[in-house]
Amino acid sequence: MSQSQKPPARRNSLWWDALRHLRRQPLAMVSLGVILFYVGLALLCSAGVIFTDYALVDHNRPYQEPSWENWLGTDIFGRDVLARAAHGSITSLSVGFVGTGLALVIGTLLGALAGYFGGRTDDLVVWFYTTVDTIPYILLVVSLAFIMGPSLQTLYLAIGLTFWVSHCRIVRAEFLKHRERDYVQGALAVGASHWRRIFIHILPNIFHLILINFSLVFVTAVKSEVILSFLGLGVEPGVPSWGMMINDARLELPRGVWWGLAAATGFMFFLILAFNLFNDALREALDPKRSRV
Amino acid sequence: MIFCRRLLTFALGLSFVFGHLSCTRRVSDQDGTINTVVSANIKGLDPIFSSDVYTNAVVAQIYEPLLTYHYLKRPLTLQPLLAAEMPKVSEDGLTHTFKIKKGIQFQDNPAFPGGKGRELVAEDFIYSWKRLADPRNQSDGFWVFDGRIKGLNEWREAVLKEEADYDTPIAGLVAKDPYTLEIQLTRPYYQLHYVLAMTYTAPVPREAVERYKEEFINNPVGTGPYRFDSWVRNSRVTLVKNPNWREEFYPSEGEPEDRARGLLEDAGQALPFAERIVFHEIIEDQPRWLNFMRGNLDFVDIPKDNFESAVVGDSLSPQLAEKGIFLQVSTEPDVTYTAFNMKDPILGQNVNLRKAISLAYDTETLIERFYNGRAIVAHSPIPPGVDGYDPGFRNPYKEYNLEKAKEYLAKAGFPEGQGLPELEFSTISSPTARQMAEYFQQNMAQLGIRVRISSSSWPQFTNKIREGQAQIYGIAWLGDYPDAENFLQLLYGGNVSPGPNGSNFQNEEFDRLYERASRLPAGPERTRLYQQMRDIVVAQAPWVPGAHRQSYYVAHGWLKNFKRNSMIQDYFKYLRVDPKKRAELKAKL
Repeated sequence: MSQSQKPPARRNSLWWDALRHLRRQPLAMVSLGVILFYVGLALLCSAGVIFTDYALVDHNRPYQEPSWENWLGTDIFGRDVLARAAHGSITSLSVGFVGTGLALVIGTLLGALAGYFGGRTDDLVVWFYTTVDTIPYILLVVSLAFIMGPSLQTLYLAIGLTFWVSHCRIVRAEFLKHRERDYVQGALAVGASHWRRIFIHILPNIFHLILINFSLVFVTAVKSEVILSFLGLGVEPGVPSWGMMINDARLELPRGVWWGLAAATGFMFFLILAFNLFNDALREALDPKRSRV
Repeated sequence: MIFCRRLLTFALGLSFVFGHLSCTRRVSDQDGTINTVVSANIKGLDPIFSSDVYTNAVVAQIYEPLLTYHYLKRPLTLQPLLAAEMPKVSEDGLTHTFKIKKGIQFQDNPAFPGGKGRELVAEDFIYSWKRLADPRNQSDGFWVFDGRIKGLNEWREAVLKEEADYDTPIAGLVAKDPYTLEIQLTRPYYQLHYVLAMTYTAPVPREAVERYKEEFINNPVGTGPYRFDSWVRNSRVTLVKNPNWREEFYPSEGEPEDRARGLLEDAGQALPFAERIVFHEIIEDQPRWLNFMRGNLDFVDIPKDNFESAVVGDSLSPQLAEKGIFLQVSTEPDVTYTAFNMKDPILGQNVNLRKAISLAYDTETLIERFYNGRAIVAHSPIPPGVDGYDPGFRNPYKEYNLEKAKEYLAKAGFPEGQGLPELEFSTISSPTARQMAEYFQQNMAQLGIRVRISSSSWPQFTNKIREGQAQIYGIAWLGDYPDAENFLQLLYGGNVSPGPNGSNFQNEEFDRLYERASRLPAGPERTRLYQQMRDIVVAQAPWVPGAHRQSYYVAHGWLKNFKRNSMIQDYFKYLRVDPKKRAELKAKL
């Protein structure tokens, strides 16, 4: 028996195994490709490499039909719809990443503290998230956006401050379970501090849940951005956004101008579909109960 | 309150309203029912609350004021309605004596003994105007008399302290006999006759108010040609012909082209024609348009986004004309404008900056893009159709001239926009308003001026203006009456925020001229003063005047005598439906 037949222990970890599983799922890989495409598109747009003419106004060419020059036609101000839809991905992705990131940081922190310390801390956090949870999220988001006025920062905060609840609940339950486990007790025995036990010992062990939650909340955040912008509570007017384009389409459709709506919903559809498919595959890949090959 | 009142029309025109979609229901084709539409929900049927155009559309058919406008003549001409003749005005302009028509009956109602309507007398006006003034009623129409009638404001205060009631006499309102009403003013007020043509000032019977109390708003009792029949909330209000209405006849003179347009065919015929009017409440543009196209509504104004399919060039599209539909264009006494807050440290002190902005704002493209070309460029606050409007007048800062704009910007101390902080443009959060704000932003970008758009709800927006917090904002004003005074008061120093002068423009010379003009009756001297005031506004540029909009109405061929003007409210009595033609044309739809 040679040593090489025994794979290194690291390669058998949950993460390595999940990655191997994912790579065998063509749909998941295509979805990942689509997501990366959007990320690349947003980065290139914001760096000013492609679609630099998204704000170029041409009053002589309003509502032009799709053509070779403008693949998805032009809007009321003669701006290229494709360029605006592509720039809309910056808004959506940034709201998705920043808003979701903020929600997860809040949810993880509060959930970890409640689950780990229990007692009064737990009571307080549970009371707080139950209270927030009783308010329908869209009302909460709308009222926050209403108070702070439309801007990208408002959207980050509105989404970050409302979407942490379900994540917090899951993290709390995991911490309740893990704090009694032997490895945590062991850490306690060798004198590890609370901080060390929470962040160095327990957190990495529940990280797969955070990742799955990230992709779930991300989809809701992107949709919320579109809804809020549609309602006029999203980004500032003039900033390209899919929600704003859909809002404009309400006026455009009776004129027979369908391309604005098609572009915005199409861009949104593929991003959300890709995220949902990838999310399913990821959940399955990270499921500890899945039989390992 | 005048401020919110008229602006509401604009807001509802633009704003994104989630609404209940009601469907029209055909009542009967046999009796010449008129099916019409209002684009917002009706609030209630009491003249003192007829502040928005939608509610007023219904109320003005049930209640009648002393005066009204001639249906066909243009420019608008006042004529007696409940008054027997035009009032006698004393030399000093302070005493106005009205003779009231004899034999005018209130509509039959259980509030009267035996359910039979009684005769209208001068006392009814005094009672009704006290009701309008009563602060406990919180009418938003009191501005029409505020500070104008001797003793009325004092009565108002005394009522709050419970030191006066409806039987307390008022020095300025005297019923000399049952048919003579004398009004004493505190100072000359030549717009009095115009406000006496507004539904706010229509008489209501005291018996009915006292019987129904707060339910009076749902049990209207007027003197008008139509009386209330039923109201399905958020759906429709039905009015039926008042059988006891007095004799009144269709006018026999009008504008020269009225005869050719068939508007004088019914001259001398007894009014009203239609047996029934149904006001459908349909908030969204598309259902309103589709209901018209199916023949469920007799006339509508064309929604902006259906305009291109309905109108080709200046006339109706052949597809619609084939169905017997006709088009009617009316220029409304209205002005859209972009106002600068003169209290703002950057804009208020720098007339060259304001002129630069005005010169860089391309109104013609705006009209093309947002009004389908259905408007004319405004060169001053005074719109067509009112005294003081000069169609030949050109505002030198209203031409779209980027070179000149850049010169003024440099003169203002900000060459190429350098050193100028970002400006804030306030608007409401509806798609069209947002697009208009973006348009302003794009126009300013050409000059190197950076503009941030702040959009909010209609109440937040008006609050911001009232509190003097809006730096630049876009808004519109639809006149209450055909007098330039109603537009120039938007710039009068005595009306600064929270009053209707939201731009906080204060100019001694302007105010002096305004006060002088308000003491003058209509005539060349007053018109000259109006034009002097206009010139001051142009030179100081507290506004960038935008456009005077036109209304495009379409009506089906079975509707006769249709001639719309937004200031004529009691027009349903003139309309006639031809049931035979309706059946014939409806088959083609």
